[in-house]
Amino acid sequence: MKGRVLPLLFFMLMALAPLASGSYREEFEKGFLTKTWSGEQPEVNFCIECHSSDKMKPAFLDIAEQWKASWHAQNGIACHDCHGGDPKDASMSMSPHRGFAGAPNYAEVPEFCGKCHIGILRHYLESGHGKALRAAEAGPNCVTCHGSHNIQKANIEIINEQRCTKCHSYDRAKTMKQALFLTEKKIGELEADLVSLKREGVFVDDETKNLFSTQAEFRALFHSVDVKLIMDRTDEFSNKLSALDGRIKDTFNELRFRRNFSAFILLVFAGMGVTLYLVTKTPRE
Amino acid sequence: MSEKIKNWLEVRIGLDELVRTHITEHRVPKNINVFNTLGTVTLVGYLIQVISGIFLLIYYIPHSEHAFRSVQNIMTKVPYGWLFRQMHVVGSNLMITAALLHLVTIFFMGNYKRPRELTWVGGVLMLMITLTFGLSGYLLPWTQLSYWATTVVTSIPTAFPVFGDFITRLLRGGDIVSGITLTRFFALHVAILPPFFLMLIMSHIALIRRIGLSATPFGRSDEEKRPLTEFRKKTHPDGHPYYPYLFQKQLLMVIGYGMVMFAIITFTPTFFFPEEATVPADAFKTPENIRPEWYFLAPYQMLKLIPNKFLGISVQIILIAVFILWPFLDRHQEKNIFKRPVLRSVFIFILISLIILMWWGKR
Amino acid sequence: MKRRSFLKVLLTVFGAASFASFAYPLVRYLAPPGGSAEDKKVVIAKKEIPAGQSRAVLYNDKQVIVINRPGKGFIALSKVCTHLGCLVEYEKDKNALSCPCHAGTYDLEGNVLSGPPPRPLPKIPLKVEGEQIIIG
Repeated sequence: MKGRVLPLLFFMLMALAPLASGSYREEFEKGFLTKTWSGEQPEVNFCIECHSSDKMKPAFLDIAEQWKASWHAQNGIACHDCHGGDPKDASMSMSPHRGFAGAPNYAEVPEFCGKCHIGILRHYLESGHGKALRAAEAGPNCVTCHGSHNIQKANIEIINEQRCTKCHSYDRAKTMKQALFLTEKKIGELEADLVSLKREGVFVDDETKNLFSTQAEFRALFHSVDVKLIMDRTDEFSNKLSALDGRIKDTFNELRFRRNFSAFILLVFAGMGVTLYLVTKTPRE
Repeated sequence: MSEKIKNWLEVRIGLDELVRTHITEHRVPKNINVFNTLGTVTLVGYLIQVISGIFLLIYYIPHSEHAFRSVQNIMTKVPYGWLFRQMHVVGSNLMITAALLHLVTIFFMGNYKRPRELTWVGGVLMLMITLTFGLSGYLLPWTQLSYWATTVVTSIPTAFPVFGDFITRLLRGGDIVSGITLTRFFALHVAILPPFFLMLIMSHIALIRRIGLSATPFGRSDEEKRPLTEFRKKTHPDGHPYYPYLFQKQLLMVIGYGMVMFAIITFTPTFFFPEEATVPADAFKTPENIRPEWYFLAPYQMLKLIPNKFLGISVQIILIAVFILWPFLDRHQEKNIFKRPVLRSVFIFILISLIILMWWGKR
Repeated sequence: MKRRSFLKVLLTVFGAASFASFAYPLVRYLAPPGGSAEDKKVVIAKKEIPAGQSRAVLYNDKQVIVINRPGKGFIALSKVCTHLGCLVEYEKDKNALSCPCHAGTYDLEGNVLSGPPPRPLPKIPLKVEGEQIIIG
């Protein structure tokens, strides 16, 4: 009787070893994980397929790679979101029936991007740049500063001497950049603070939305390229950011308080433990 | 003053005799050590869970639309809510660790052998209930981690033919994890499991008191003649008195448990909160690398390794059956594990394999 | 002897300290929330929002938009777009709310009509009493 169980157990465990095989892991995961709750499946995109194939004319071949490196791509915005067409059906991928709009010409670009970026379009059209575009098809459109496919997150360095001196002197752009500078810096700091709060386990959804909204409004305002307007309204933005900063600092303070409080409890326990230990080692009378 | 109180109680409940038999004259073996206190530590761990859990219950809302916000409320707006929540989360992991350590030491000391088989069975059942507490409690904050880890763990029974899908649907209250799952897991966690656990712990302690503490078999050899054929309560007439000797050790270990808990809360408060544990559940977005909680990782990884799902889950069930019924399978007279090299090696091999499986499952 | 009783006193002190460091938080935890932190209702006069117009108010530190829907009465919705948090605007001619950041569009009940928003705009409780609108 006693000899029976252990060898049986041993055999069972040993028998598992040759059965173990890595390739079955995928099948397992597929079986357990691809039911109704399955995550994103790799999407078929005929726009990218044709525009990356060797049959495409060289001028268009870079587009897919440029897009893949963009901020749009990272947020799931693909070709059809701007250009229309059906990415899942090759025959309809460039069909006007599916809303295909082709590539906009120079003067059409702002309205093209403005389909989504409404607030920015509004300020742009009122600006000197917008008026120049409508009057003479001159001046910058969205692509001039942001590129067409490899669009990155906006930052203050887009305003630079090389770019802005194409049509006029750099002084105006320089003044503008200076007007934006402090607010943008503050926004960057607050973004970093929110990231570290998140790392400490705090749920910062409301504050993140608040910061994004303030930043988006500020940047949309910039597109009016009206230095006076921006300087007039900088205080308003500064106040909003300070209020947010105050709340974030309060949260950091609260986290510090919590750390100190639980450290205090830890020390009291440690003291109790040490004292008790000494009591056990002290002989009784 | 205290004399008067003692006297009052003595007349009504016979306090003196109670104190004598259970505290001052109750004797424990001379070579009792800290490992013998792990059961008490687990019990104290459970009490901490109950008390912190009851306080969390006051502010928690078990509805899929409100659960996450109510937990955020506890963590940010309710004064010291964070303290009780942290104690509950850290405590759950520590309690499971203490229970596992207790089990390993009991196994190592052979304290499951006759006449203590029932104590072992009750203990293993309590471990299963503790793991179920962990599983049901994990879902309650309704975060991405809760939702998806629960999805993975509740999909394990589907490997079982015929009943598998039914069991999964029963656990989830439907095809997918939803608000219905939340309410039934809440009922399980708060109302169904505690009475079962309580019954088991009371019988576990009653059995220990009735049968008596066994002597540690190493160092001094146990003079008990085996096999035992009649009931005899194990006493230690020349052992140490329980108070203060064993009581001190228990208290020290409990303080140690508290220190580990607060060291984690102070220095690494996010230890049990990876990124997915701080965002609300989203049934349409599966995070990468979803995994069950650490105490389910070894069985999960084992299932992944076995190619046939049915074989995988059957092996698990067989292993659990062997685990529960071990005292009935191991009838060897010898209690001292140092005199049983085969058992010792197999045991250590299993422990190491489980740890490796857990590590592997984590990657 | 002296050492032992000193240690026992020390032990009692530590014991009391640890008891207090749980008892105090417990009392604070159970105490009812101070003041009317949640209940600061916002009141506006009905005539301040003619039909087809809207007004932004601050309720509980949150941005809310109150709309006088032609033919359907007043409604209060959160002004914060559920996509990334920009403040939505009322477009009277489109009978919709639109977000200037990425063109998320909502109907006048807060449901998403088009664009990136993942969830509808939460409704804020609103009551009309006589000539006043009470939000909250």
